[in-house]
Amino acid sequence: MIEVKELTKKFPQKEKEELLAVNNLSFTAHKGEIVVLLGVNGAGKTTTMRMLSTVLQPSSGTATIENHDIIRSPQQVRANLGFLSGDTGLYGRLTAREIIFYFGRLYDVKDAAISSRIQELSELLDMSAFLDKKIDLLSTGMKQKVSIARSIIHDPPVMIFDEPTAGLDILTARNIVNFIHNCKAQQKCVLFSTHIMREAERIADRIVMIHDGKLLAEGTWQDFQDETGLKDLDDIFIRFAQSSQPEVQND
Amino acid sequence: MINLRKITVIYRKEMLDLLRDKRTVITSIVIPIILYPLLMVGFSSLAMRQETKLEKQVVHVYLVDHVKSETSVRIIGGISAIDNLEFMPFSDSIDVLLRENLIQAAVQISDSLNASGFPVIIVTISYNETEDLSVQAYDRISNRLRELEDELVSERLKDLMIEVDILDAVQIKKENIAPPEQMVGFMVGKILPYLLIVITLSSGAVVASDLVAGEKERGTLETILVSAARRIELVIGKYLTIITFSLISVFMNLFSMFLSIRHILGQSGLDTGGIQLPISNFALILAAMLPLVTLIAAVLLSLSTYARNIKEAQSYQMPIIIGGMMLSMISLLPGFKLTAGFALIPVVNFSLLFKEIMSGNFQILSFSLVLGSTLILDIIAIIISMNLFRNESILFRTAEDKSLKFWGQSRKNVLSPEVAFLFFLIMIVLLFYVGGSWQAKEMMSGLVRTQLILILLPTIFLLRIARMNIRATLKLNPTNPLNFLMVVLMAVPMITLVVLLGQFINMIYPVSESYMEGMRNLLSTEQAGIWKSLLIIAVLPGICEETMFRGYIINAFRKYGFWAAAVISGVLFGIFHLDFFRLIPASILGIYLGYLLLKSNSLLIPMFAHFINNSIALLLSNYHEKIKILDYLMTGDEFVWWIGIPALIIFLVFLKLYTRINRNPDLN
Repeated sequence: MIEVKELTKKFPQKEKEELLAVNNLSFTAHKGEIVVLLGVNGAGKTTTMRMLSTVLQPSSGTATIENHDIIRSPQQVRANLGFLSGDTGLYGRLTAREIIFYFGRLYDVKDAAISSRIQELSELLDMSAFLDKKIDLLSTGMKQKVSIARSIIHDPPVMIFDEPTAGLDILTARNIVNFIHNCKAQQKCVLFSTHIMREAERIADRIVMIHDGKLLAEGTWQDFQDETGLKDLDDIFIRFAQSSQPEVQND
Repeated sequence: MINLRKITVIYRKEMLDLLRDKRTVITSIVIPIILYPLLMVGFSSLAMRQETKLEKQVVHVYLVDHVKSETSVRIIGGISAIDNLEFMPFSDSIDVLLRENLIQAAVQISDSLNASGFPVIIVTISYNETEDLSVQAYDRISNRLRELEDELVSERLKDLMIEVDILDAVQIKKENIAPPEQMVGFMVGKILPYLLIVITLSSGAVVASDLVAGEKERGTLETILVSAARRIELVIGKYLTIITFSLISVFMNLFSMFLSIRHILGQSGLDTGGIQLPISNFALILAAMLPLVTLIAAVLLSLSTYARNIKEAQSYQMPIIIGGMMLSMISLLPGFKLTAGFALIPVVNFSLLFKEIMSGNFQILSFSLVLGSTLILDIIAIIISMNLFRNESILFRTAEDKSLKFWGQSRKNVLSPEVAFLFFLIMIVLLFYVGGSWQAKEMMSGLVRTQLILILLPTIFLLRIARMNIRATLKLNPTNPLNFLMVVLMAVPMITLVVLLGQFINMIYPVSESYMEGMRNLLSTEQAGIWKSLLIIAVLPGICEETMFRGYIINAFRKYGFWAAAVISGVLFGIFHLDFFRLIPASILGIYLGYLLLKSNSLLIPMFAHFINNSIALLLSNYHEKIKILDYLMTGDEFVWWIGIPALIIFLVFLKLYTRINRNPDLN
């Protein structure tokens, strides 16, 4: 379970200016639920997810992952978390198996457990053909499968996906979507970020809309439709964004 | 806290990853294995082959006999008996023939009488030093002539009924007491430190740029940061990887070099039984390399962490590698010994230490001093890389980040630190090249021109083109007359402290006699007279240097705060003297002058203080013999440190008074 509480991140800019990338953001995501973080580019999705994965320190506020605080116990947070983004790279000179082993060991998984988990994942993701090939020789789709396996090798209760389908072809993207549903079936808590409305519509149990670092709306697609009387998620988003605009100006 | 098992996992993965990288393997393993045999063995056998080839080549010799006596015929006979030598009947100019290498030597025989009236045969051998074969011809002919001379001399002595042995009045026996291994060590010791330091730097640089900057470039850094590994574990794992590769490289180089040298010694026909390569010294050097390798690794890791991509990391490494190469070259220079002062300078200390180890006379004290100082720097460098690794703005610096493009951004503002620093750099280059050549031509007029044209003029010009109000920017403000009195009162304790500091520095880094001589000449009034000297040494710097440093540069650093501005401009002032030995005293003077300006808000005060300070220095160095206590202070061998205590107290009291006078400079 993820609980985000008044999370704020400021980036220092030149001449003492500050960029408020995430502004007092709060939401939760529960076990066995897929929550989509929806927002346009630059809305603060990646910054939020980087704070949740303890790579960035929040300026104020905090969050917990499986009740571990991201500021006080980052170690436990990362141990309970799988993180996958569209552009995380892999080590080109290592084989798929070596990389998965490397991360498994970093997560303190026993070698025997890693081996059997690789077996299991390679059947699930259909990757036995290229397990022992060097990453440099693999196609984008194959690499993405290795990345998925890498992110879930320690069987974490919480999965965070930061625009994992960005730049992928339909078939590869489909792999990811299937995998996310699989995570849900295993009662994992999934947080998924995207700027593509259609994707959110298709996959989300609940949608958290953010704009300019702030929470715009939170609920199911159905809730949004009922509230706005609009059908299309694009329109709904634009309506929310526009209605928040005067507030922004008042700040 | 730190999980050793995870460090091992990271270390093993990095090693595996790098060992699969051809570039790394080639630079740190393959090149050393083939480089030395190729370089040494190949070169020496090539030289030997060339030598024998020359000996077998026919040399053509032109011969003129102006004497035509029995002796000269004997000499010609002797020369013609040399193997592979042919006489050529040419009539052209000898010089032309030699220059075109058509003949290799021209022999002209004439005769004369020596001082005692005995006949002497004079054989002139013309040859061309720039032609190898011609040099060969000269050597062969002159060697043969020496044999003939011996024959002729012994014949003459026989005629006089004297034994040949009478010529042996003095016999010189050359005996080199340095054992052969020390000789070899001495020669290897000159070049080895340089090689080792360069190898460590270059192989470490390849690995380091790949380890962090490479991860940023390939987008794997974030992947590893979200894993369960802690950042400190990542840093240590990567740090150990760089160290391992540097050590592998150093070891491969030493090993390959050792075998190559032994091979050459064996081939050269020397008595290799007597010449033992100092293998224990090689081992000692390998051990001493450890702290140096770790220091270099930590520095390279910091640079790689700071850089955004491999290319950027490499451009940051460049100055480090070049600087390291230049510093390590000190072992190639004659006359440098490992003193306590040198033991504290990184790279230089190792260069000199290795030289001493290889020639077999190093001291445990300097050894531990070198190791100790390096380890301290090492820890500092590791802490820096750790902090860089924790700094998210550096870790996530991406390609479009413009933080480094400050040159283009704030050029308009002439009072920005960047412009001031750039200005300073240009000035220091001008000072070095232009000012240096002016002063080399004629010292005094060169100094005047430097002060006016290279220091004052550009500063005014810069402020002019930036359309600044010169008077306001330079703070040419009226001030409390009491301030001038305070400056005079502070000058004496201040200069006492500076002299003491100079003596102290001299104890650590002894100044050469020629340098002292130069300083004395500069401060001597003999040439120009006292008033002219005062003008050049005290008045002009007071006006010109103050305009540049306390008028302009310090203002650009005001935004960093009072002390930062004083210290930065002061240290720049120290560097501006382009003199290693005066760096610290001049920096302290600069900070003091900066303090005076910032408190009084009037440039007149530091100008006056600078004038007073230089005047006292000038007067002291010329008239100190007349005042006993000063003479004792300045020329005594004793380091009278305790004088510094009252001097410091007096100085601080007056400084406090000065501060009080200027508590509110705007009202003055």
